[in-house]
Amino acid sequence: MDRRSFLTANAAVAVGASLTSIAQVASAAARPAPVDFKTNLPAPGVFPDRWICGSSSCMDNTDPPVQVHWYNEHTAILRQNKAYSYEAPFAPLYFGNDRVLLLDEGFTQLRNEWDLRGVVDECIDQWCGRNGRDPASLELLVAFSHLHGDHYLAVNQFADRPNTRYMGQTHEEMVGFWGMTHFPEERVTLDLGGRDILIWGSPGHVVSEFAYYDSYSQILYTGDMFYRGRCYISFWEPWFESMKRLIAFCDTHPVAHVMGCHVEISKDGQDYPYGMTWQPDEAPVQMTVQQLRDAFEMAKTITEPGIYFTGTVFLCNQTRGTTTIDRNPYRY
Amino acid sequence: MPQSPISAASPPSVSTRTYPNGNPELQYNPPGVRNTDSAIPLHPKAPVMHHYDCEGPAPGDLAFRWIFGSSVAATNRDPRVQVVQYNEDSFVLRQNVCVHWEAPFTYLLFGNKGALLIDSGATDNAQHYPLRATVDAIITRWSQMRGRSKVPLTVALTSGEDVAQNQGLVQFAGRPDTVIVPRPLEVMKRFYGLGNSWPSGTGRIDLGDRVIEVIPTPGTHKDGVTFYDPYCDFLFTGDLLFPGRINIGNDKDFLASLERLKAFAATRPVKWILGGHIDMMFVPGKYYRRFVNYKPYERVLELPPAIIDEVIESTREVLGKETMLIQPEYVLFNGVSPDQRTRVWPQGVPNITPPFHF
Repeated sequence: MDRRSFLTANAAVAVGASLTSIAQVASAAARPAPVDFKTNLPAPGVFPDRWICGSSSCMDNTDPPVQVHWYNEHTAILRQNKAYSYEAPFAPLYFGNDRVLLLDEGFTQLRNEWDLRGVVDECIDQWCGRNGRDPASLELLVAFSHLHGDHYLAVNQFADRPNTRYMGQTHEEMVGFWGMTHFPEERVTLDLGGRDILIWGSPGHVVSEFAYYDSYSQILYTGDMFYRGRCYISFWEPWFESMKRLIAFCDTHPVAHVMGCHVEISKDGQDYPYGMTWQPDEAPVQMTVQQLRDAFEMAKTITEPGIYFTGTVFLCNQTRGTTTIDRNPYRY
Repeated sequence: MPQSPISAASPPSVSTRTYPNGNPELQYNPPGVRNTDSAIPLHPKAPVMHHYDCEGPAPGDLAFRWIFGSSVAATNRDPRVQVVQYNEDSFVLRQNVCVHWEAPFTYLLFGNKGALLIDSGATDNAQHYPLRATVDAIITRWSQMRGRSKVPLTVALTSGEDVAQNQGLVQFAGRPDTVIVPRPLEVMKRFYGLGNSWPSGTGRIDLGDRVIEVIPTPGTHKDGVTFYDPYCDFLFTGDLLFPGRINIGNDKDFLASLERLKAFAATRPVKWILGGHIDMMFVPGKYYRRFVNYKPYERVLELPPAIIDEVIESTREVLGKETMLIQPEYVLFNGVSPDQRTRVWPQGVPNITPPFHF
């Protein structure tokens, strides 16, 4: 909350309830009808055939720092350019009638290196233009999937943004941001204004990780705990429990797509080793519920640390981060 | 009239005085650097012949810091090829880290009858990596200074199969007065006259009073060779021996090649070993993993010749084992993934965590 809205809010309380209600009526009259996020579900949407995926020479990359893809009219998916950071995380931006949720902020810190805040502001402006809203009236929630640098590094760009709340970078602050008291089992509902986001704990890759389910597009966002690439599982037992929770959720809720934070695998299942900045034949970021179930079935058989390929993802059970199955091609 | 404190001080004694612009009392060519042509005719009428015989290694230095990429590779504006002149007849070229993370080094050596380009970089696209244009420009300038109308060029690789060193070769296809050392191993052996003596013999590339020797050194690559320059006293070892992650292709060959190299170095003066890459940081035993476009804490390129003994010792440790071994100046990967990591830290080596830049 910026200084101006803080003062106006307190002034409104001081003036009294009668005036407040009149103000609300007045603003409601100026406001167009709210977007309906509850019927005709799941809201249809499309993923692009091909995301920007780096280039053979990084300094000759001419793609924008962030690719903005509108999955549907009320959902944008952002992807960082591989030539800006090899991690190239995907970041959904969910719009509701009252607030906007940004999940993940990429792996580059400074606004003069990549203007993530500018990109997000432009998305909000576009959405508001389409829906006849005032961008200043929308609250922005800047959250992230888990406590790793490639998912929160640009948070500081939003520090002085008006009408914005951002997640803190400790486990307690993250859990507190969603008002959870029983992490990871507790499932909370975030109301973006007619659009519910279900959030629960999904530890395993790291301790502090969440799964996010958007009830409108029905995309299940699984962060780094399950994504199209090498899922580095630091803690097997909590990860397996998190998988059980995901499967149980899919049993009771309709899920259109499962989506992770990265893609590190080609369309034909070839591994792109850690740190690659060019993935010309990248697999799609979205996965099906069946692929999640298959991975879970395979996970049931895993008892030893190691790297296992499920056909969709690599389960790197307690191997150290950045290790891959790649070999020295010049062995003889 | 008050005197300034500087002029008031007594003049420094002659013996302790430093000369930032050179001591005028000294000869133009002090002993040891006698044979550099630091004064050559401005408009040579005839080819200027250079005497490549000198006492000890030819003078020169790698005084510049290597360009090291940037945290955002897409906005890097460094030169695509960094050219550092070691001396008048020896150039070191480095590929920009943001064009290709391997950032290989390429060497250009001149003799009285021709030039030798050792290795060719990791990128074939001349727009992204204009190696040919850079080499042409250096050769043109050199030939003007030395009064030559043409300079035959030989392009040789420390390993023909290494994609981090052979990609730029296509840029030299069809270049006039150019010999490209053929790539398949058997043809390459015949080219160097090593058809029957591989890997024990040595080949020669005569640049005119500067004879580069070719030592077969398979080990990281089946067709690996090392070049010895008797003028600067350098060994150009490519992927065999460099301050970085050495991925051993065949450990027995690797050990045999190092021992051969050691025997060779015992009979010749060696100032430095110059490899094809740098992966190490300037704290001992720490290195950049693959695909990194930003390496601000890179180690220097040159290795002392005594390192050969150390590497031989380390290789004996990993011989026949699938393992990696961290040493202060290099890391050996034998039969494991190039992304392998280990918690084993060499004894007695300080474990310093370098700063990490986002």
